Amino acid sequence: MIEVDRLSKRFGSGDDAVDAVKSVSFKVDQGEIFGLLGANGAGKSTTVLMLTTLLAPTSGDARIAGYSLSSDGAGIRRSVGAALQDTGLDPMQKGGGLLELHARLFGFDRKAAIHRRDELLDLVGLRDAADRRIGEYSGGMRRRLDLAAALVNRPRVLFLDEPTTGLDPASRRAIWDEVGVLRESGVTVLLTTQYLEEADQLADRVAIMADGEIVSTGTPAELKAGLGADVIELAFDEEGVAEEAVSVIGPPANRLGQVVRIPAADGPAELARVVGLLKEAGIESSSLSLSQPTLDDVFLNIVESRGEGVGR
Amino acid sequence: MNANPVGGDSAPRKEGVAFGLQVWLLTGRFLGNAIRQPAVILPNLGISIFFLIVYYGSFGDSPAIVQLTGGNYLNFVLPVTVLFASISGGAAGLTLVEDLESGYFRRQLSMPLSRTAMVLSAMLLGAIQVTFEAILIIALGLVLGADPAAGALGLLALLFFSLLWGLGFAGYSVATGLLTGNARAAQSATFIFFPLLFLAPVFLPFDQLAPWIQAIARVNPTTYMLEGMRSLMIDGWELWPLAKALIAGAAFALVTLIWAVRVAIRKTSRA
Ligand SMILES: Nc1ncnc2c1ncn2[C@@H]1O[C@H](COP(=O)(O)OP(=O)(O)OP(=O)(O)O)[C@@H](O)[C@H]1O
Ligand SMILES: [Mg+2]
Repeated sequence: MIEVDRLSKRFGSGDDAVDAVKSVSFKVDQGEIFGLLGANGAGKSTTVLMLTTLLAPTSGDARIAGYSLSSDGAGIRRSVGAALQDTGLDPMQKGGGLLELHARLFGFDRKAAIHRRDELLDLVGLRDAADRRIGEYSGGMRRRLDLAAALVNRPRVLFLDEPTTGLDPASRRAIWDEVGVLRESGVTVLLTTQYLEEADQLADRVAIMADGEIVSTGTPAELKAGLGADVIELAFDEEGVAEEAVSVIGPPANRLGQVVRIPAADGPAELARVVGLLKEAGIESSSLSLSQPTLDDVFLNIVESRGEGVGR
Repeated sequence: MNANPVGGDSAPRKEGVAFGLQVWLLTGRFLGNAIRQPAVILPNLGISIFFLIVYYGSFGDSPAIVQLTGGNYLNFVLPVTVLFASISGGAAGLTLVEDLESGYFRRQLSMPLSRTAMVLSAMLLGAIQVTFEAILIIALGLVLGADPAAGALGLLALLFFSLLWGLGFAGYSVATGLLTGNARAAQSATFIFFPLLFLAPVFLPFDQLAPWIQAIARVNPTTYMLEGMRSLMIDGWELWPLAKALIAGAAFALVTLIWAVRVAIRKTSRA
């Protein structure tokens, strides 16, 4: 359904050039929910903008819903839907009115457009707010309406760029539920997120993007398995101490606040080694445990091994 | 309809809706938004009416001027105020800048819509606002005692010219709005039009202008627009001035439309 072939985007030229996306290739099957996971600036939005025909690629191509990006942008626009990172809504319009207008712009006649509007308002739970101006909507309501707007044409492929960033847990849950409905309907979804938990929850397969490249692809389970069976978790009283511990232990240790996590193939053996190293360096941990890896570990391990901060 | 609210791939038309329907629906949205904030056109309307009253009040009773301008100064000056109202066409550009800022413009770009339809509908909004103001100004002129030589049909022709001129103005504002993406810059760009409006036979007939102004006025489309409108007020149905006004107005609107569409295509380098 989505086949991306060595897609690249360079912004600017000369010394100031930024290679936002570097020869990225991946495939998403019909009905699959595919998660593009990456930190700020990884190139997720740039990829989505290119695939939704809003940004011309520097090189490379893609086939989406059977249409070629380079030669049939119009075909793609007819068959996909997109909810971008920044919502695209007219604050002067009423929620219901906007959906109805878009349905008509997609070729529904007057009656069918009203029907489509009501279907979508029910889907995203905005029936009661249909006659209010979008300018008065909360952030979560806007996101949901934006999602509804992306669905007006019954897209075969849906792009969701960070659909839950900045939302409270309840709104995030609501969007997740809606993505669940999408899954059942057989729509192919490409969603980007910075939340590993979200990718774990929603995506059938995940690609991890860092610095414009896809550095790892697989199901969440495969990615976690690739790290080894166990994770050692150490907590410290201060971030500084945790940082010190990371440098003493070395890769693949990574830090999240005051917590250091170390993926390991053989947990108990590694645990003994780590404890020894810390003792030698005179560093004391406040707690210590052995657990299963999460997608966070996969992600941090990759980012750390590429020698980049994660900005958290 | 499909029982499934999401998938199913059953959007009614595979090929996207007709260009005319796109323009119709998009213009409808712009107008709906404009009607919700009527205050936007009030300042411009106020200025135009102010001009009408002040010019008429200052010069209308001066026998010398009445002599120069063919009898009724109100007939002479009414087209000027109608043309000034065309500055309201600048609202079109500002509306598009708002769409750029809200991200709504981008959402439309991701839909199977023609960029020409997107640009043209904003221009139509501007032209319709200008025409609406022109109606009010002409009505006021009639109340004050204007008596168009070309009669009621002549007034319709006057409105048509103001629509054409408003379209051109709106196209200019749309292009600058898209180019700058900034409301303030787009607004300042409309000031370029003041010289264009004034370096024309605005207060006096062409042959009474200083030679250097004449030189500029001769190549200024405003001149032909103004003289065409004036001929309706003063002389009745005269083919030549009307033809020149039509050509000037249509050329202005076409040039700015093409420019605006080109800017839209260049600024939105979509695949
Ligand atoms: N229009 C642009 N001009 C120049 N550089 C850009 C532009 N858009 C993005 N970039 C750069 O490209 C890189 C990737 O940006 P992108 O927005 O794709 O990242 P992202 O993964 O979506 O990040 P985030 O999680 O913060 O949304 C960044 O370094 C960014 O500064
Ligand atoms: Mg982004």
